[in-house]
Amino acid sequence: MSQHVLDKLKARFGTSILETHSDFGDDTAVVEPSQWKAVCQYLREEPALDFDLPVDLCGVDYPTRIPRMEVVMHLYSIAKGHRVRLKARVGDEEMSGAELDSVTSIWPGMNWLEREVWDMSGVRFNGHPDLRRILMYPEFEGHPLQKTYPADRTQPLVPYRTEEEAGLPLGKLEPFGPDEGMPFGRGGLPRVVDHEDD
Amino acid sequence: MPTFKLDGKAIPFEPGDTIIRAAWRQGIEIPHYCWHPGLSAPANCRMCLVEIVPKPGTRPLTLDVLEWDAKAGTYRPTQKPKLQPACYVPAADGMEVLGNTSEHVRKARHDVQEFLLLNHPVDCPICDQSGECKLQDYWLEHGRYHKRMRDEPVHKPKGVVFGPTIVYDGERCVMCTRCIRFMAEVAKDPVLDMRERGNLNEITVSPGRVLDGHYTFMTEHVCPVGALTTKDFRFKARVWFLRTASAICQGCATGCNAWLDYDPRYNRAYRYRPRDNEKVNKFWMCDEGMLTYKAAHDGRVLEASVRGTPTSTTKALETIKTLFAEASTQSLAVVLSAAHCLEDNWALLELGEVLVGTKKVYLGGHPEGYEDAILIHRDKNPNTRGVQQLATQIAPLKSLVEEIGAGRVTHVLALGGAAAIDPAALRPAAVVAIASHHGPLTSAATVVLPATSWAEQSGTYVNAKGIRQISEKALEPQGASKPAWQQAADVAGALGYEPSWTRLKQIRARLLGSTAVDGPAAPLPVAAPGE
Amino acid sequence: MEPLDIDLEEGELELPADPMHLNMGPSHPAMHGTVRIVLELSGETIVKADVQIGYLHRGFEKMSERGTWAQVFPYVDRLNYVSPMLNNVGYALAVEKLCGIAVPERCQWYRMVLGELARISDHLTCDGAMAMELGAFTPFLWFVKAREMVWDILEEETGARLTHSFGRIGGMANPPSRDFKGLCRAALPKILELVEQGEKMLLKNRIFIERLESVGVISGTDAVALGWTGPCLRASGVAYDIRKAHPYLRYDEVDFDVPIGRSGDTLDRFLVRLAEIRQSKRIIEQSLERMADEGPINCDDPRVVLPDKMDVYTTIEATIQHFKLIMEGAKVPKGEVYSYTEGGNGELGYYLVSDGGGTPYRVRIRPPCFQITGGLSKLLESRMLSDIVPTFGSLNMIGGECDH
Repeated sequence: MSQHVLDKLKARFGTSILETHSDFGDDTAVVEPSQWKAVCQYLREEPALDFDLPVDLCGVDYPTRIPRMEVVMHLYSIAKGHRVRLKARVGDEEMSGAELDSVTSIWPGMNWLEREVWDMSGVRFNGHPDLRRILMYPEFEGHPLQKTYPADRTQPLVPYRTEEEAGLPLGKLEPFGPDEGMPFGRGGLPRVVDHEDD
Repeated sequence: MPTFKLDGKAIPFEPGDTIIRAAWRQGIEIPHYCWHPGLSAPANCRMCLVEIVPKPGTRPLTLDVLEWDAKAGTYRPTQKPKLQPACYVPAADGMEVLGNTSEHVRKARHDVQEFLLLNHPVDCPICDQSGECKLQDYWLEHGRYHKRMRDEPVHKPKGVVFGPTIVYDGERCVMCTRCIRFMAEVAKDPVLDMRERGNLNEITVSPGRVLDGHYTFMTEHVCPVGALTTKDFRFKARVWFLRTASAICQGCATGCNAWLDYDPRYNRAYRYRPRDNEKVNKFWMCDEGMLTYKAAHDGRVLEASVRGTPTSTTKALETIKTLFAEASTQSLAVVLSAAHCLEDNWALLELGEVLVGTKKVYLGGHPEGYEDAILIHRDKNPNTRGVQQLATQIAPLKSLVEEIGAGRVTHVLALGGAAAIDPAALRPAAVVAIASHHGPLTSAATVVLPATSWAEQSGTYVNAKGIRQISEKALEPQGASKPAWQQAADVAGALGYEPSWTRLKQIRARLLGSTAVDGPAAPLPVAAPGE
Repeated sequence: MEPLDIDLEEGELELPADPMHLNMGPSHPAMHGTVRIVLELSGETIVKADVQIGYLHRGFEKMSERGTWAQVFPYVDRLNYVSPMLNNVGYALAVEKLCGIAVPERCQWYRMVLGELARISDHLTCDGAMAMELGAFTPFLWFVKAREMVWDILEEETGARLTHSFGRIGGMANPPSRDFKGLCRAALPKILELVEQGEKMLLKNRIFIERLESVGVISGTDAVALGWTGPCLRASGVAYDIRKAHPYLRYDEVDFDVPIGRSGDTLDRFLVRLAEIRQSKRIIEQSLERMADEGPINCDDPRVVLPDKMDVYTTIEATIQHFKLIMEGAKVPKGEVYSYTEGGNGELGYYLVSDGGGTPYRVRIRPPCFQITGGLSKLLESRMLSDIVPTFGSLNMIGGECDH
């Protein structure tokens, strides 16, 4: 479909492109993790490539391989009409070293996607402005899309805590106090007992 | 090494190999029903037919056939290559064989499949084989047609009891004769044979005999379809719900390789299947061994007890503390178990020899029993050789009885319940038993701590030939049981010592580091495509 | 009692110097699905808006790794639950791409008609709900009445109003019903009439227009960089529609236009959706014309398509086929594939990884409104509090899809 994208990548980055294939017509390049951001920058800025639409980012876990986590990015160029799939393999069997450079500065749309990959697959993105969990809650333990996370694990309900108590940036506001919101829904209006001053 | 080409791929072979065996060694499956790597080849299922390209200059083997000509609306004579059974034709150097790539071979497999299913009953929903049935697999791979025959299929006897363990269903049988050949060639008891001809063919037991002996379960496991089923597994579980772990049979010192099939939803083991290992058990297992999967649940120690009264593990450890308060190094003995894995034995030995400092080490285990020349070993423990390698100065349990009788030993730390002694002889001493199963040692023990069985932990066993093999964890620990090496660490803590092991990895590293275990490493199981 | 309007001295008034924090959602009537926006307000101006999603996270991707390939269909229904048929078709196309199978032509047209019906229902819901949140309840009822007509057709076809689970690998669950074409042809003019009525009422209403116009503006370049697709992107003037750019099914054989907006504000997003409803009508009419009345709806590959039920009960071959497909699942060849279709909200992508077995190794959905919602805080910052409702409404954030 767009073999020239892979050709250009190989010409520009040489051995940092570890593997390429075009199975099912999807052009795929596996990139050296240290070159992740540089490759993205090139794909975005090279006029002949012009990948302006950040389509998708996700993690695929292969617990028996080392590096085990495959971060998969899909890009599209609206002007050129071509697509590419970029992969980087990171993390050893215990997921240490599973980190990549953030590409939010290249595509702001990668912000939430990188948060999602961190949340679901446990890959850290260095330089991300706001790397919080996104689909799960801050107190959640583990990363559910890792194959080693049992699908039927339950986690306890978390009682309300302030940020200081949790020691985590929770991004939540305190619940309503008794004097806020709709008083009739929360134990009724404060009853005026003292009528003598009227 | 000479090679031949199968579908363009070079396959090396050893002289004397048939085409199918050479491909099997390379992990390539040529579809088959009747061929089995451990049995002779009768070439009667016709599923493994392949096309052998004639050498240049030789006359090709061809068949005269009539082919339907749709345009002319009539049959017209033509020729096609004569296909040959891959299980019977020896491989030859430079031979060119066509399997999947030959249209004739594909057609032949399709037709053989249709032929075998002509009279097959609609039994999949009630058949124990479904999910691991060759008829199902090959229909999807090579058949993919819809039934053309609209006649009533031939009916044959169903639910025929062949013996105390095996039930036969004639309608499902594809007459591959694997069971007949197994009984004749491996079990050396030719009790099965075939009777009638054509579509009335059925397997039968010799008049006046039943299918019994020590190798009847194997007939079910060599059966590629659901014709033979074991009474033990029949209607117990559906195979697609089962998960499997590679295990080592605990029945005797042969250490047969097996797959332990269990249902993770109920944490229950359902059966053993033999796992191929050319060096140990080839493809076979004995009936007694096959049934030892039951020991994962039967006769288990599932909670701690003090003087026969169930209690919590914490209370039991406190009792050990008070019980062993006045024990001296000289009067304390350690009993290792040939029925537990090396890791468990190592931990208890470490506790006794290094932490406590005793020199009195004894060996417990199941008493000896039946043996034969095929697989069954006299020693009924899976790990005798391993424990002997671990503790070279080990004494038999009988001498412990003497020591206790003489009052020289007053405190005993024992592993496992099995022992070939009278429990009363141990009663004078204070015995702590860490055991997975009940036995003389647990009934003699003052304190019993529950240990996991081989099915619930990963463990190393050394068989009678000195081959070291690992049995994988299948089930989750049942009851309050913990791996015995963990219990040993807890006992060490209760006795006031600092155990030097907290993880299985550490023990494995120490075991491999020491020269005590020098048997050959566990050989990788031979890959058996489609078995 | 003291009068409330006492005159306070200016100097006595103590206005808080800190910005005010306000929770909007997760259960707020205008936060469809459930989403929460933590606002930092200076007066009524939004200083910072932190959009928090995940309240409808049900572990779609994890669950998909547990069943067979075909068992994912009911889950995809529950992603974008206002246009489940588009999800069904998208997923079926992805698996078919991996298997290398093509469905019969009749099925392709059928899928297109059903998909466009779902798109109409999607857009009607979005525009109707948005109007309702701004106080215009009548057009909402009209739009929902029109949507009801779409759902009646879909119910007739699939047996379910919302969660159809109608897609299959290699075809559809059932062939079109006998009256399908008649039903569509009868309903479409009525739907369009209702849309027109609603339009008349809204687009001549000054309050409605002023609350939408120049609110939530985003330029085409910004929208692309945020990963926006679908009507929201087209409202910003970027004519990217997968049905045109990379036609799938038979979209290259039908005649339709891609409506685009000029300024990328909330009004444009509203109008683009209305215009797309009319284009969908055109597509449906042409597809109905081309769809054959007879012919197979499923491909004939027994490795993926279930056999006839009567044969399952009577022949061993069909029993085996049924058994293999249900118990082990259709074996999908080893590999990975990214397949994309135009969903209700934009590019609906499925990235599938197969290890060659009957269970997916990984099913990754690229939900269009995830990234669109990701851009919401950018639209809101330095706007007024009251702009949240129309802006958020025009993005058509669907909780099930956004939160997986």
